[in-house]
Amino acid sequence: MKHNRNQPRAPRQTGAWATPAKALGGLVALLAYLGCAAPSFAALGGVSATIEADRVHLAARSSTVVNAAYTVHIMTLPNGGTVKEFERSNGVVFAISWRGPSRPDLRQLLGSRFGVLQSDILVHSGRRLRAPLADERSDFVLHSGGHSGAFVGVAYLPQMAPADFSVSALQ
Amino acid sequence: MIKRLCAIGAIGLALVLTGCGGGGGGGGSTASSGSTGSTTTTTTTPPALTNFATLTIDGGPSALTTNPNGYIDDNVAFVSVTICAPGSTTNCQTIDHVQVDTGSTGLRILASVITPSLLSAMPTETDPSSNPVGECFGYVDGYTFGSVRQADFQIGGESVSNMPFQVIGDTGVFSTVPSSCSSGGGSNLNTLLALGSNGIIGLGVMATDCDSACAVAGGYAAAAYYDCPSSGCSTIIARTASTTAPFQQLPNPVAAMSVDNNGTIISLPASPTAGEASMTGTIYFGIGTQTNNGLGSATVLTTTSSTSPNGAGLFTVDFNNASLNESFIDSGSNLYVFADSAIPQCTQTNYTDYFCPVNPVTLSINLVGGTGATASASIVINNAYTFFDNNNAVVPGIGGPPSTFNQSSIYPQSFDLGLPFFYGRNVYTAIENRPAGSSTGPYFAY
Repeated sequence: MKHNRNQPRAPRQTGAWATPAKALGGLVALLAYLGCAAPSFAALGGVSATIEADRVHLAARSSTVVNAAYTVHIMTLPNGGTVKEFERSNGVVFAISWRGPSRPDLRQLLGSRFGVLQSDILVHSGRRLRAPLADERSDFVLHSGGHSGAFVGVAYLPQMAPADFSVSALQ
Repeated sequence: MIKRLCAIGAIGLALVLTGCGGGGGGGGSTASSGSTGSTTTTTTTPPALTNFATLTIDGGPSALTTNPNGYIDDNVAFVSVTICAPGSTTNCQTIDHVQVDTGSTGLRILASVITPSLLSAMPTETDPSSNPVGECFGYVDGYTFGSVRQADFQIGGESVSNMPFQVIGDTGVFSTVPSSCSSGGGSNLNTLLALGSNGIIGLGVMATDCDSACAVAGGYAAAAYYDCPSSGCSTIIARTASTTAPFQQLPNPVAAMSVDNNGTIISLPASPTAGEASMTGTIYFGIGTQTNNGLGSATVLTTTSSTSPNGAGLFTVDFNNASLNESFIDSGSNLYVFADSAIPQCTQTNYTDYFCPVNPVTLSINLVGGTGATASASIVINNAYTFFDNNNAVVPGIGGPPSTFNQSSIYPQSFDLGLPFFYGRNVYTAIENRPAGSSTGPYFAY
């Protein structure tokens, strides 16, 4: 099911998804981080185990690229598109990006933030703006642009990102 | 150059119509004898050209502009199309205010503007389970959902028989949007107020609306086709890409025409500096196929194809020392969208999505095609707050950033050249894998 492709420029490559132990560790870490109830099933803001749930939901092939402060899970969708999930070393998914012929299933990938996005974009300016989707909150940022057949976007939790994380890495 | 050719074509058309007494379509050869009877001269009158339709930029459908909750469209190019029940020449309807969109592919019309007698006479496509086919289609700001029905389609002098198109917000089993469709996010565009037009005709670089991305079942795609039994539309099915009957995916209507089927030219006059209430222009069908649609000296900007991992219709814009390789020309965008922290955004309520420079800003950009061919363009960005104040439908120089997020480097790879780019230009859109003039699509040219 899983397909690990070569990543020539990757500093290191792993073939396995998070072990249950690691997922549990991530969950504990997240709960400690949030100091609140368990997160929703979705990946953004969730723990590493949710990444595999996303991969199954999207019927994607996947590979990983490990960096010092975070791991990028790269999923190739059946329609040719790509979804990347950015996972901190503590197991928290702090960003997701996508690119390809479609917007992916954002309800799955954004979890509770999907409702935030949908309510925020309902604020219209009177005239119809035929332009990208955007959400700008202190704790949640989303951009979704492109055109039919060629979409691109990112969703990002600035407060959960590694301290020195550069947003340009999300592309 | 092309404008001149077009003018000549129009004069030729007028002459033909005069010569034929206004009747008939054909033209052809006429012979006249000299007075001596000893010599005969033969002149050939070219056939009347019909490969074009009128574009109108105005406030939109009257049902929108007169609605208490409605609004005036800005920078939207409309065309009229005619749909008929397959095989009928009487059960037909001309739909006005269909938005011309080089950023998508396929015809989509709101069910609410189609007469019930016509709607019921247009059959739905059926899938291998003999169930009707539905479609979810993603636009940058939302999605439409509805049935896939077949109609005999006409635009200008061109036609396609049995062409599938989407009936947005169709009734019955199609009245419920599948959750896997709305999961793409954005607005439900199934109503006139949300869509801002009676329909959208997608005339982009793709030959069908989804190509290989919809050749697989499951998942979610920009266009996704659904099996719609009476219990509802929930299963996403594979549909093949064909521009001839039997169709499955929605074709690019131009790609499905029997002639002039390699692309379009959108020809709009320049806007007055302050904009204007309305404007008319012309869309030509075909590139280099008639005397009125030559490529001339336009620069061909080859784009990505539908087999690109990033999607179709993308090329590079060099701007502010950045090489933005996911840029595109999109008549369906009603503004320029790009990041430039040097241009202030509007601060007024409801206008923060737009740029509001104190004085107009002139930008120099280079458009670079996949083959390296480069065309320069000078673009003016105006103050959206003051320019919108006149309630004009033609509003030049409107732009906005991809977001108001202060870290614009999160989104630096795209320059969306929306309809304001088309004012005063002839913009060519060539369909992928179709020879068009001296090149082969997919490309944009101007």
